Amino acid sequence: MGSNYLKCARARTIPAGDMNQDSLYEQAADTYGSSLDRLARAYEFETEVRRDLLQEIHFQLWRSFAHFDGRCSLRTWVYRVAHNVATAHMIRQRRIRDRLASIETIEAMPDSSDHGELAATEVEALDRFSMLIQRLKPLDRQIIVSYLEGMDASSIGELTGLSPANIAMKVHRIKNILRRWFVEGGLHAE
Amino acid sequence: MPSDFPMKDPQKIWQSQPTERLKMSASDLRRKALERQSKARFEALSTIIIGIILCVVFAWSFARAHNTLARMGWGLLSLCGIYIAYHAYKWIWPGDLPEEAPISTCLEFYRRALERRRDYQHRWWRSGLPFFLLLGMAMAGLGTGARNAALQHPLLNALPFFLILAVWAVAFFLMRKKLGRENLQGEIEELRAFERENR
Repeated sequence: MGSNYLKCARARTIPAGDMNQDSLYEQAADTYGSSLDRLARAYEFETEVRRDLLQEIHFQLWRSFAHFDGRCSLRTWVYRVAHNVATAHMIRQRRIRDRLASIETIEAMPDSSDHGELAATEVEALDRFSMLIQRLKPLDRQIIVSYLEGMDASSIGELTGLSPANIAMKVHRIKNILRRWFVEGGLHAE
Repeated sequence: MPSDFPMKDPQKIWQSQPTERLKMSASDLRRKALERQSKARFEALSTIIIGIILCVVFAWSFARAHNTLARMGWGLLSLCGIYIAYHAYKWIWPGDLPEEAPISTCLEFYRRALERRRDYQHRWWRSGLPFFLLLGMAMAGLGTGARNAALQHPLLNALPFFLILAVWAVAFFLMRKKLGRENLQGEIEELRAFERENR
């Protein structure tokens, strides 16, 4: 295995053997239930299929806790399983064949007229998030979702396997894109 | 647009969207696990049975054929039946997420998933199965046609078979072209470069 294998020893870890599979799953579902639903939305846009994907994420999460040994924070574990299940779903659904772009490519694209106006409501803003996320390759999708969930660069790096510097650069680009797509100059300062 | 619209914080908007909280009970999870196991077992068994049926049917034709060429063709098709069953069984069974999912990073996991997909496609084409299937069909068809045509017009008699074979071959090459378009290798190389860069 590579050097990234089990490179997730961090603070907030749970002592191994203290909790069983069911209680770990319950804790994860209680703490990250909403985040997992949002994550599923970022990978699947059809409601029925998304419900199946979410159920699959929960199921695989529960299965994975049989091997949880506390060397990794619960949050990292939960997000890794969830993103990996969702990526496997994309590959199964052959979405990889779609013309997906990287953050860099989207940042370099000129503004199209349909994004030129400001989003007037939160619903519109969320639609635009979906439009943006739908265009992204899995790895960049993981980064933008993690960023939107409020994770910092080092946590995203731990999750994805990219270096914090690389993540910081990508997050900077994401902010630029969001600024362009939503409201010029309206985002929080970095 | 109201001036105090919270568009200023995309993270806040993203996190405040209405969500559907799902929590499965322990009994539901165990039931689902059992269902999956049964389903995987059923799929694997069905594939094995189909492979065995194909193998037996072709072997039966092999035993009944009098022409050497036809016998060789049916024999080859019979072996292909076994191989198809084995190949499908091998790739149908692993329905669950690989165990490395929680401990390998998303980058590693994604690359491995793409590699598995690429290897699956390569293995299919490189196994030579399409070639052996075509050869077996041609041999069986020609052998049978030659005998049934009372040795007068064997090729004319085998014409429908060759028409079907031609359609199949066109479909075969079109499918191959479509699969090639997926260009998984490019994506894998890109991810490997990322991994090297971030080591």
